[in-house]
Amino acid sequence: MSGTAQLMLLATFLPLLGGLALLFVPNEKREVFQKGSVAIMVVSFLLSVPLWFQYDRGSAAVQFAYSVSWMPSLGVKFSVGMDGISLLLWLLTTFTGPIAALCSWGNIEERWKEYYVWMLVLQTSLLGVFIAQDMLLFYIFWEVMLVPMYFLIGIWGGPQKLYAAIKLFLYTLSGSVLMMVAIFAIYFLQHKTNNTYDFSIESFQAMAPVIAQQTKAFQVLLAMAFFLAFAIKVPMFPFHTWLPDAHVQAPTAGSVILAGIMLKMGTYGFVRFLLPIVPDGTKMLMPWFLALAIIGVIYGALVAMVQKDMKKLVAYSSVSHLGLCMLGIFALNPWGLKGAMFQMLNHGISTPGLFLAVGIVYERRHTRMIADYGGLSKTMPIYATIFMLMTMSSIGLPLLNGFIGEATILMGAFQTWPWVAVLATSGIILGAAYMLWMFQRVMFGPISEVNTKMADLNMREIAYFTPLLIMAVWIGLYPKPFMDIMDKPVQKLVLQVQPDFYKAEALAAKQAEAAKAGMHGMEAGEAPEAKEHEASPAQHTAAEPGTATPAAHATPGGGH
Amino acid sequence: MLAPSFATGLWENLSHDIHYIWPQILLMVSGLLMLWPLDSWLLPWTKAEKHKWAIPTMAILLLSLAISVYTPNGLGFSAMYKVDGLTKGFQVLCILASIFAVMLSQKVLGALFEHTAEYYALILFATSGMLFMCGAVDLVTIYFSIELMALCIYILVAYLRNQERGIEAGMKYFLLGAFSSGILLYGISLLFAATGGITTNLTELNQKLAVVSQDKSLLVYSGALMVLVGLCFKVAAVPFHMWSPDVYDGAPTPITAWLATAPKAASLAVFLRIFGTGFHSISYEWEAPLMLIAGATMILGNVAAIKQQSMKRLLAYSSIAHVGYMLLGVLSKDAQAGAQAIWLYMLLYLFMNTGAFAVVIYLQGKNEGERIEDFSGMGKRHPVLAFSMLVFLLSLAGIPPFIGFFGKFYLFLLAVEQGYTTLVVIALLTSAVSAFYYLEVVKQMYFKEPAEGEVAPMDSYSKFLISTTCAVVIIGTAFGPQLLKWTDDIRWFEKETPAAVMEFPNK
Repeated sequence: MSGTAQLMLLATFLPLLGGLALLFVPNEKREVFQKGSVAIMVVSFLLSVPLWFQYDRGSAAVQFAYSVSWMPSLGVKFSVGMDGISLLLWLLTTFTGPIAALCSWGNIEERWKEYYVWMLVLQTSLLGVFIAQDMLLFYIFWEVMLVPMYFLIGIWGGPQKLYAAIKLFLYTLSGSVLMMVAIFAIYFLQHKTNNTYDFSIESFQAMAPVIAQQTKAFQVLLAMAFFLAFAIKVPMFPFHTWLPDAHVQAPTAGSVILAGIMLKMGTYGFVRFLLPIVPDGTKMLMPWFLALAIIGVIYGALVAMVQKDMKKLVAYSSVSHLGLCMLGIFALNPWGLKGAMFQMLNHGISTPGLFLAVGIVYERRHTRMIADYGGLSKTMPIYATIFMLMTMSSIGLPLLNGFIGEATILMGAFQTWPWVAVLATSGIILGAAYMLWMFQRVMFGPISEVNTKMADLNMREIAYFTPLLIMAVWIGLYPKPFMDIMDKPVQKLVLQVQPDFYKAEALAAKQAEAAKAGMHGMEAGEAPEAKEHEASPAQHTAAEPGTATPAAHATPGGGH
Repeated sequence: MLAPSFATGLWENLSHDIHYIWPQILLMVSGLLMLWPLDSWLLPWTKAEKHKWAIPTMAILLLSLAISVYTPNGLGFSAMYKVDGLTKGFQVLCILASIFAVMLSQKVLGALFEHTAEYYALILFATSGMLFMCGAVDLVTIYFSIELMALCIYILVAYLRNQERGIEAGMKYFLLGAFSSGILLYGISLLFAATGGITTNLTELNQKLAVVSQDKSLLVYSGALMVLVGLCFKVAAVPFHMWSPDVYDGAPTPITAWLATAPKAASLAVFLRIFGTGFHSISYEWEAPLMLIAGATMILGNVAAIKQQSMKRLLAYSSIAHVGYMLLGVLSKDAQAGAQAIWLYMLLYLFMNTGAFAVVIYLQGKNEGERIEDFSGMGKRHPVLAFSMLVFLLSLAGIPPFIGFFGKFYLFLLAVEQGYTTLVVIALLTSAVSAFYYLEVVKQMYFKEPAEGEVAPMDSYSKFLISTTCAVVIIGTAFGPQLLKWTDDIRWFEKETPAAVMEFPNK
């Protein structure tokens, strides 16, 4: 096993081991659990950081790979590794871990032992999902994560916690069992074609051409089974109803992990499984998927607008933002996919930030109703500043992280589905409206008697906001490193979904050049996609992509 | 050649083939000895108490387990009894289940009000019946061994003779069991008639049924269906499950745990023998009814469990649902692969089911009740017990990484390969439903405040029993390769059937 693989496994399983160690501490020692869990999460994060530098950005292959045989007769392996997409989300998870542990100090008033142990178990299962390179291993991590989340919501949640917890569990479970059938179906198809039993994700992705030759019904069913499992997790309209319940009832850390990481599992599933394994089935169902995504964007925003509960508002804003991510993914071109991945990262920074902000006033006043607040900026200036930055980041103000992601997604979506992209912009406008309106109602205006006594942030609270703020500004100012790391994997993904994509682009570039030669120096536009051109060996002629480029792949893949 | 007289024939068979049935003989003889001379003489002489019978019973069961594993493969008793991988595998399951039942009957758990030698002897007799069932390859031996098992179980179910519901359970089980045996026997006789009244041997029956003439097809169809119905009664498959919740509720809890596993394992072995060997050539006759039964069993078992208030009834319905899953293995056209999947599932189910019942028995013994509400706040009162119960329930629901997931995974994998995708979808969706009622119990344990009252500390025996089972359930999947290796041994040896028997004179 290479050193980097060891590091990856250690960072992944350290929380679990730490949690088991904490089991032996008596429940009364609250401080041990608080500090211990934060320390474990921080160490896990520190262990994960070197991988960011070790990752070879010039290759689309799975890196840090490690694999041992587990059940040879079934073709099941304990196989782990990461590519750029998984690495980004995996690092986001290790990054969120300490924040989630730190923010629980104030609001968990009972059963500390169970709480921190479950949280650490959850962390390992979340990390495991992103490193799994075997379908069965992935499925195990994917399902295991439900149990700790069920407990986090069910024990330490709000008044409706029991309902919310069981709803989350059953929704996700019923989606993923159908995925299991799809996995089995592909597994046997694979055995029929090349007489091997193999559960590795790589071999499943290699099945895409064979699946494309199957009957239309088979492909559509496969695509639907995968879609359902992931769409519930994302969640896409109309499978989103568990999300507001779970978010509102969960303790702050639960919301942070739910919004920060768990929702990303859904989108991750789309790019890792649905698109590469069943590309043609996806294209057949594309109109439906797009419709659901766009409904999610607008519906989520409209519902968020009318919420009286701050947490519910942020929860519905997630539905809207994730809808936009899905739109980017369904654009099936590099900009859309990259933008979607990137937006997942951004959402994983700004939405946890907002949930933390809501959690802070909730800890002080035990209410989340917008109407109960007002004028907080007078008594809590630091809080107001941070809240404002997080709001701006969420609505996509330039120079903060959200803008880059939204712009890239819309750029990609516009090339494939122009009208849908136009509709999606309305979601962004609405997003600015509900967020700013909430900010205004909470922070400005007259202040009530009770609220004047509210204390501003203490050092611990500032400590867990700081990393989020740094990331938000850093990504907003200099997103290149985060984009670069996804370059090759996204390119590979696009080739898997649309094998002719880059050929069409190269052709378009050639045509543009010819046209330019014919027209004597027609001015070429600025090319945002220059990187992709260098990346693909087939297009060395495409140094100056012309204005015709977008038109050439306006309808890739024949979605209709 | 003159046919040998009955007595000499019996003697020849016995002396020639007795090595196939040593485990059964051991169980029966020791059961008999326990009943009469030892219980009346040895016990008073050593001044031991009756509950001490558990220890020799366990030793005998362990011994028979060892013997049955090392019994040579082969066909004996005029091709009526066969020892092969399937026989041995399911015998191991039955004996293990009986061992667990004896362990759960220990006095410290307090599930039984009185301990008698009969209780343990009946377990031994019933186990020997099950062992015969696993190896029976002739409709006659199958019927006799089923009866041997069932008659003992009727008594054991009604063992709490001071309780009305115990008597009711025994009576219900007896009447319905006798009824189903009648149907089974009638089905057997119809098939016997349809194939010309020559043979009841499964291998030969298979050949005869394949070429049976058109005018007898109704006989074959109704015969096969009746055998199916009779066996479905035994495994409590819907719609022949009505007896099971009441019986499970009224029986002593260790016997309930046993009923959910041992007789089902043996009956599934019979299922596999009959439908995998005997009726293999007429699979078109029984495939559709069995598919319907399997689907209905999964759906009804899981849906009916939702409303239950009593933990024992909940586990009864959950056991019905699990049988529904296992019937997928019977449906498999590759009978051997089906047997392997069922065996693995049953083995894993044995552990999680026993664990869950152990927790119920422990709480009953401490007078903390068996209703689901009585589990409230158990996470605080008995952390170890509650955690183990959590593991057992999640495993029963098929949540990874517990072994229940592995069993389901292997079984459903096979069923998809055999083309029963719709049934697998039903199975998986209903297992999501099952998560709902299992989590209801978890909710009571962890999310509700405990009832007032003193909590007695756990004795070391219960702690050992429950935490060991729990550990097996947690880490079992990691030993998947070993489990699959054992599973691979569950195969039957059709080739070893002597040629002479195969070419039975055709009149």
